[in-house]
Amino acid sequence: MTKARDRTEDFKDAARRAALNLGYDESKIAAIMASFIMHKSLERSMFTKAALTTLESIRALEQFLSKHKKDYVDVHRITEKERDSIEHEVTVFIKACKEQIDVLKNSINDEEENSKGWLGIRSDSSNADTIAHKHGVVLILSEKLHSVTSQFDQLRAVRFRDAINRVTPRRKVKQKGPTVAESSTSGNIESREVSNSETRQTEDGQAEPIRFQQRHLDDETHALQVELGTMLDAVQDTETKMVEMSALNHLMSTHVLQQAQQIEFLYEQAVEATNNVVLGNKELSQAIQRNSSSRTFLLLFLSVLTFSVLFLDWYS
Amino acid sequence: MALNLRQKQTECIIKMLNLNQAVGTVGGTANEEVYKILIYDRFCQDILSPLIHVKDLRKHGITLYFLVDKDRNPVLDVPAVYFLQPTPQNVQRIVADASRALYDSFHLNFSSSIPRPLLEDLATGTMNSDSIQRISKVHDQYLEFVTLEDNLFSLANKNCYVQLNDPSAGDKEIEEIIEKIVGGLFCVLATLAVVPVIRCPRGGPAEMVASLLDQRLRDHLLTKNNLFTEGGNFASSFQRPILCLFDRNFELSVAIQHDFRYKPLVHDVLGLRLNRLNVKVEKGGMKSYELDRTDPFWTANGSLEFPRVAEEIDAQLNKYKKDVEEVNRRTGGDEAQFDGTDLVGNTKHLMNAGRTLNEFAEKESEMMVRGGIDRNELLGVLKGKGDKMDKLRFAIMFLISTETIPPSEIEAVETALREAEVDTSAFQYVKKIKSLNVSLASANSASRGNIVDWAEKLYGQSIGAVTAGMKNLLSNDHQLALTRTVDALMEGKPNPDIDSYLIFDPRAPKSSMGSSGSQMKGPFKEAIAFMVGGGNYVEYMSLQELVHRQQPPKHVIYGTTEILTGDEFVEQLALLGRKMGLGSVPPIAGSSSR
Repeated sequence: MTKARDRTEDFKDAARRAALNLGYDESKIAAIMASFIMHKSLERSMFTKAALTTLESIRALEQFLSKHKKDYVDVHRITEKERDSIEHEVTVFIKACKEQIDVLKNSINDEEENSKGWLGIRSDSSNADTIAHKHGVVLILSEKLHSVTSQFDQLRAVRFRDAINRVTPRRKVKQKGPTVAESSTSGNIESREVSNSETRQTEDGQAEPIRFQQRHLDDETHALQVELGTMLDAVQDTETKMVEMSALNHLMSTHVLQQAQQIEFLYEQAVEATNNVVLGNKELSQAIQRNSSSRTFLLLFLSVLTFSVLFLDWYS
Repeated sequence: MALNLRQKQTECIIKMLNLNQAVGTVGGTANEEVYKILIYDRFCQDILSPLIHVKDLRKHGITLYFLVDKDRNPVLDVPAVYFLQPTPQNVQRIVADASRALYDSFHLNFSSSIPRPLLEDLATGTMNSDSIQRISKVHDQYLEFVTLEDNLFSLANKNCYVQLNDPSAGDKEIEEIIEKIVGGLFCVLATLAVVPVIRCPRGGPAEMVASLLDQRLRDHLLTKNNLFTEGGNFASSFQRPILCLFDRNFELSVAIQHDFRYKPLVHDVLGLRLNRLNVKVEKGGMKSYELDRTDPFWTANGSLEFPRVAEEIDAQLNKYKKDVEEVNRRTGGDEAQFDGTDLVGNTKHLMNAGRTLNEFAEKESEMMVRGGIDRNELLGVLKGKGDKMDKLRFAIMFLISTETIPPSEIEAVETALREAEVDTSAFQYVKKIKSLNVSLASANSASRGNIVDWAEKLYGQSIGAVTAGMKNLLSNDHQLALTRTVDALMEGKPNPDIDSYLIFDPRAPKSSMGSSGSQMKGPFKEAIAFMVGGGNYVEYMSLQELVHRQQPPKHVIYGTTEILTGDEFVEQLALLGRKMGLGSVPPIAGSSSR
C-alpha cells in the first residue's frame, strides 16, 4: 500500500541542480550523489550498541518461546523434565536480560554524573535531549521484556492448571482406591471369619494357624492404610508447592513490570527536563537583563548623588 | 469494501513511523534504525493526536517527540522522522537542523505534496551547509486532514466561511482558499485510494471546488504510478463512491440551531476538540477526558437525547456499584475506591448548562417545523433566562425559519436583543442577506463566468443559495436537507431536487463527458459528503442514521472544512456582519461568557 509518494529522486535531481548552480566541480557532485546511495553510517555510541545487543537477546528469547510453545502447552508431547528444563532456561535468560537493562539504566545515571565536570558544566554529548532519549530506549526495552515474560507466565499458568487438574482426580481415585481396598479386605476378613467359623466347626485342630493368618492379614491392612495415608500427605504437599510456584512465577513478571514502571518514571522526568532546560534558559536571560539594568541604574544614582554633593559644596 | 478512513490513515502513519518500510518484519534482520525521534509541527500534531497515543509511539520505537519550533539539542546516532506541512518556514527549520547536525539521518515526510521550488530550496540550503548527506529520504504522505471518527474528517481550515463570503475578498484570496480545500480533499481521496464521481449544486464555492478537484484528479491520473491504481480503468458505478459537495449556505440552520443530543451537546457546550475535553473540576484544576471510539459509553449513547442519557448514566452507575460490591464480597478485600467515573464528571457539567438549552432546542425545532412562531412566545424566550449567544442563535433561527416577517416583529426582536446586551452583527448580516435576496432573485443565473467575475458571482450565488436553503425546512421526521439530498444522490433516480446538480467524472475521457455522463448516475453504495464552510456533529449523526436505516446498509463518510460549534459559526456571521458595516458596536461586557 504505497500511499506515500517517494520524492527522493526529485530531491536528488534538485540537489544536482543546486550543486551545479553553486559551481561545484564534477568530483564533488559525484561524491554527493554517491553519498545518497551508500549512506555512510556514523559510529554508534557505546550505549546504542549495548541497547541493540539487548534487543537482539530479547528477540532471541521470543523466538525460543514461540518455537517451544506448542510442545510446552500440549499435555502429551514432552515430559515434565523437559518442561522444567525449558522453564529453567527461560528464567535464566530473563534474568540476564533484566541485568543488561539495569546496567544500561545505571550507565545513563553514571554518565550524567561523570560528565558534569568542574563548574557543573555538562559536556556536549550528554544534554537533556540525549538523556531523555536514552531513558526512552531503556523504557522500550523493558516494556518489550515485560510483554515476553507475561506471555511466558501465561503458558506457565496453563501448565500448572493442567497439573492441578490432573492431581485432584488422582486424589479422588486414590481415595476411592483405599476405601475399596479396605472394604475388600474387610469383606475378605468377614468372609474369612465366616469361613473360619465354618471351618472351626469342622476342624478345631486348625484354629491356631487360622488365627495366625488373621493376624497377618490385619497387619497387612494396617500397613496398607499407613502407606495410603503417607501418599495422601505427599500429594497434598506437592499441590501446595505448585500453588506456591505459580504465585512466584507471577512475581517474576511483576518484578519486570516494576522495573518498567521505575524506568518510565525516570523517562518522564527526563522529558520534563528537556522542557525545563528551555524555560531555564529564558529565565537566565531575563535575569541577566535585569542584572545589567539594575547595575546601570545604581551607577547613575551614585554619580548623580556625587555630583550633587560636589555642586552643593561648590555653591555654598 | 467499506471505506474506513480512520483505519487507513492510521496505517499510513504507522508505516511512516517505521521509516516507510514494511511493517511487521518478524524477527528477521536486525534493523539498525530501531530507535527514532519524531518531530512534527502544530498542524500535524492535530492530525496525529486523535489517532495515536504516546504509549503506542513507543511500540514503534519512537523515544522522543518534539515540536519543530522548540529549541532542540543534538541526539547523535539516531534517525529523525519529520512530519511537517510543506511551508517555507518548515523548510528553513529543516535546513537549520541539518546544519547543526542534530541527528544522524533525516527522514522527511510532508503532509501533502511539496512543490518543486521548496524542494530546491531545501537542496540548496543543505548543500550550502554541507549536510545534504544527512537527508536520507523525502516522502509525500498525503495526510493533510484530521480524522476524528471512523467516518468523520475535517480539513481544519479556520474561518473558511468568512473568507469565502467576505464581500471584500479578492479573486486571489478566494482562489487560494479553494486550492487549499481541493488539496485537502485530494489527500482524503489519495488515502482512500478511490476516484469518485463528483456531484455538486450549481454555483457557489462547491462548484469551484468540484471543477478544480476534477482537473487535479485528471492530471494526476495521467502520470504513471499514480496513487489510485486499483481495479481496472472501467470500474462500474457499483464500486466507486460518490463525492457530494455542498455549500454551508445550502442549509444555514443546522449550523446554528441548538441540538439536544449527547454528542452535539458535549461539542457545543463543553468544547470537544480533537476528541479531547477539558473541564474544570470542583477543586479548581482542569481535568482532561478522551472521548473516542474506545469509550463504550460514548459510542453507544452518543446519539441519544440528553434526558435519556441521564437515565443511561444512572443505569451504568448502578451496575458499576453492584459489580464493585460483588467483587468486594468475593475477595473479602478492603473497600474499593469508588471515585466518580468519567461519566459523572462530564454530565454534571452538562446538566448545569443543559437546563435552559432544552427550551431553546424545543422551540427551535418547533419553529422549523411549523414555519413560524407565536410572537409572544418568541419575545418571552428572548427576555427569559439563557446565555447571550443562545438568544442570538434563537433569533437568527427565527429569521431563517419564517418566510416573510413583518418589520414590526423584527424591530421587536432587535430591541429585545439589545436589551439583553447581545451583539447583533450576526443578526443584521442574516437579515441583510435575506432582504437582498428579494431584490437579487433575478440575478440568480447559473452561468459560468470567467475568473474575473468570481468574487461578485460568489457573493450573488451565496445569497441565492441562502434562499434555497431557507426553503429547506425540516420535514416532519426531523430530517435534514443534507441527508435527503445525499440520499437522493445515492439512489440515482431522477428527482427534481437534484437534477440540476452538475456531475464530474475524472476517469471518463474528456471528449465523451456529455454522453457517458448518464452511465455514472446509477445507485451508489458508498458516499463521501463534504460541506464547504463548516459542519458539525448534527449533520454527521443524521447521515449515519440515514445509512443505518437502509437495507442493505450503505456507507457514508462526512467531511467538512472545519467542525464548528453553533457559537463559533455565529461569531463568523458576526464577523461578516461587521465587515459589511452592519450591526451595533458591542457593549464592553459583550462577549459571551458561560
